[in-house]
Amino acid sequence: MPMGHTATAQAGSGGLTATEHRLANGLRVVLSEDHLTPVAAVCLWYDVGSRHEVEGRTGLAHLFEHLMFQGSAQVKGNGHFELVQGAGGSLNGTTSFERTNYFETMPAHQLELALWLEADRMGSLLAALDDESMENQRDVVKNERRQRYDNVPYGTAFEKLTALAYPEGHPYHHTPIGSMADLDAATLEDARNFFRTYYAPNNAVLSVVGDIDPQQTLAWIEKYFGSIPAHDGKQPPRDGSLPETIGEQLREVVEEEVPARALMAAYRLPHDGTRECDAADLALTVLGGGESSRLHNRLVRRDRTAVAAGFGLLRLAGAPSLGWLDVKTSGGVEVPEIEAAVDEELARFAAEGPTAEEMERAQAQLEREWLDRLGTVAGRADELCRFAVLFGDPQLALTAVQRVLEVTAEEVRAVAKARLRPDNRAVLVYEPVTAEQNENDQEEGADQ
Amino acid sequence: MSDTAASLTNMTLHPQPRPGTATPWAFPAPERGRLDNGLTVLRCHRPGQQVVAVEIVLDAPLDAEPKGLDGVATIMARALSEGTDKHTAEEFAAELERCGATLDAHADHPGVRVSLEVPVSRLPKALGLLAEALRAPAFLDTEVERLVRNRLDEIPHETANPARRAAKELSKELFPAASRMSRPRQGTEETVAAIDAAAVRAFYEAHVRPATATAVIVGDLSDTDVDAVLADTLGAWTGNTAEPRPMPPITADDTGRVIVVDRPGAVQTQLLIGRIGADRHDRVWAAQVLGTYCLGGTLTSRLDRVLREEKGYTYGVRAFGQVLRSADPATAGGVTGAAMLAISGSVDTPNTGPALEDLWKVLRTLAAGGLTDAERDVAVQNLVGVAPLKYETAASVAATLADQVEQHLPDDYQAQLYARLAETGTVEATAAVVNAFPVDRLVTVLVGDASQIAEPVRALGIGEVTVVTG
Repeated sequence: MPMGHTATAQAGSGGLTATEHRLANGLRVVLSEDHLTPVAAVCLWYDVGSRHEVEGRTGLAHLFEHLMFQGSAQVKGNGHFELVQGAGGSLNGTTSFERTNYFETMPAHQLELALWLEADRMGSLLAALDDESMENQRDVVKNERRQRYDNVPYGTAFEKLTALAYPEGHPYHHTPIGSMADLDAATLEDARNFFRTYYAPNNAVLSVVGDIDPQQTLAWIEKYFGSIPAHDGKQPPRDGSLPETIGEQLREVVEEEVPARALMAAYRLPHDGTRECDAADLALTVLGGGESSRLHNRLVRRDRTAVAAGFGLLRLAGAPSLGWLDVKTSGGVEVPEIEAAVDEELARFAAEGPTAEEMERAQAQLEREWLDRLGTVAGRADELCRFAVLFGDPQLALTAVQRVLEVTAEEVRAVAKARLRPDNRAVLVYEPVTAEQNENDQEEGADQ
Repeated sequence: MSDTAASLTNMTLHPQPRPGTATPWAFPAPERGRLDNGLTVLRCHRPGQQVVAVEIVLDAPLDAEPKGLDGVATIMARALSEGTDKHTAEEFAAELERCGATLDAHADHPGVRVSLEVPVSRLPKALGLLAEALRAPAFLDTEVERLVRNRLDEIPHETANPARRAAKELSKELFPAASRMSRPRQGTEETVAAIDAAAVRAFYEAHVRPATATAVIVGDLSDTDVDAVLADTLGAWTGNTAEPRPMPPITADDTGRVIVVDRPGAVQTQLLIGRIGADRHDRVWAAQVLGTYCLGGTLTSRLDRVLREEKGYTYGVRAFGQVLRSADPATAGGVTGAAMLAISGSVDTPNTGPALEDLWKVLRTLAAGGLTDAERDVAVQNLVGVAPLKYETAASVAATLADQVEQHLPDDYQAQLYARLAETGTVEATAAVVNAFPVDRLVTVLVGDASQIAEPVRALGIGEVTVVTG
């Protein structure tokens, strides 16, 4: 069958190139020129995420990320935000299991400002970090948790699934948002230690992408970041390795005030960076990506038992990746009916593999997603950092789509057969209860 | 830098750098044309953008939905891609995804929008599918029935979502019951259940035709013969002509009042505070954009400066203006469009009263003292400066061009807006935002635990408080 078909003549790298540099203090730098639009993206990945957190301090990496916007030696208060936005830039930071990233997209003539700002906080955050910021951002993050997870139907599903799929004590057992109790317990000294341990130039990768002069950019980076001392206090994260499959079906039933029954499941999948992970991505796309997927056709179109049905992939490098199934039921349909249909579809897929047409569709979808990611300077900067931090080679970002296109149907079938099995999943079932039931349950709970 | 700061850092500190010379950038000017079938086409070449964006604007507004059939425009929009004269629903979805394409269609007050994104090499194929969906949708009974059931299943999920629930309640409060704007865009359980294939086809036949539609195509078109591709695809769509449909006037009751949608046990209160105001045709729009940004555009704006960064009551509160619908100046007959002006966010339950008190204090302080020149300058620099970032992708350019068409604005509107923003002074921006958010003419919807929040909110005196359930 025709493999490796591409949507554009240059698919794969798209004609993009990147150069790599390293400062004496260990800061790795990746530069990529693109003069189509007068913008430049700065992206800084610190090799620290929630997997580095210790017991009793979940959520610290993310809370700390907030503190990085509260000023440094030469930047007052919210100055980081004010200066970037006042220069016509946009910015943010995010925290995941495996890394914390900070990024600014600037009009090209304001690039130097973004570099100066990132260097100032990398080298001198503790000059400004105080109790007031800590208390304020603790409250902000607790409200972030309420808004995004606690006050939304099914909002804590991901947290529950993760806790099931990765055993107690595993570095990925808890999610980056952390628990309310741990957020309350974090101290200013914890934050300071976190900075001293992880926020070092030799624990970061800086990428700059867009309408840049590479020589000038490198000179600015040397000027602003070059004098920040390296330090090696970092402990490696706890070991995230696990057997390839769970070996049993784990299950939790949640009775909550949700609008409909739901079946969710997390399958343990190959690590990011492997060809098997790309094969798993294609398998999940054929099975549950978009409106022509097997599960959508079966559950939403034919059986009409679901409102929505799909699969997502959480790629992880330091632990097995997760394939996340999410089905919301239609009307009064019961979960066992959905589960039987899902199992039937997965078993058939494991036996037969994808058709040639399904492979073509899945590869075309993933290729477009890559073109989208690499189509903006910010997306490209983030991907260059990702491959540099997680896999040691930023160039891999530019050939990632090619690797997805090289995967064969047989490899897709093989990974589905090995991994998408009932004894390799954690299942979360939602059964709706009314507000009154919920209240009674709570009262009973209080009596005990 | 203080001595303490110096003692805590051992890097070499450099002064803040000065910016280089800005490279001029302008919002792209589209090329406007018309096909023989009457379809208006806006095209815009964006070098390097390999994923092409196509937006179709259909003159099928929600107020054209027959009485009792709210949601028929939504079901029609969704049914366009559920089978045609050449493909079944499953085949159509498969063919589209084979192109690596995504297709979304939705109905809103001004009309129906269909958005396609596809890698440029597969544009001809995907445009062919899009043309098929517009030209010859099957609207089979079974597919429409499925879409209706699916839509009915979605409604409880929306009701359970605090932000969606708040938006629905605000529309109901603001607009007169007879106005389509008072009711949910995608219909209620009752009206959606009444929709069948015949109703969908009737709506399609009455309101979907090339003569009143516009296609916007944006991306790297250097290797594509756009005229030839259009002739083979959207050019084959036929239909009669129609008179422009007059827009009904938009009125709203913004008497200051508070509606609490009771959610026992909620850990946060979702707040949505709004009224209606000027749309883009009004000269005040640029000043309103500028002033609204200063009030609540970002976390360093006035609202978050207090509510988030000082008090920690919220993850973030935003003020915004969103056009509901605009009239065509050529046929308006005195009718003007309107935008929803609103403040939204969520605050923790125990601090709901204090947060609203602070929010009103921010509004009163703004009305009393006005914006500062520094605030105005930073806002202009941001709003104008981010344009090249904001419009990096084909999809973002296409969406703005399509908005302009839908709102009956000239093709150079966005380009001119940047010039107007740069000219707008502090006094104008202050007047516009104070006029947009008068403290006694705001309707407040709170989705939260009434037993905890109703009393503290009553004590604020920001209007009569009513508690509703559901």
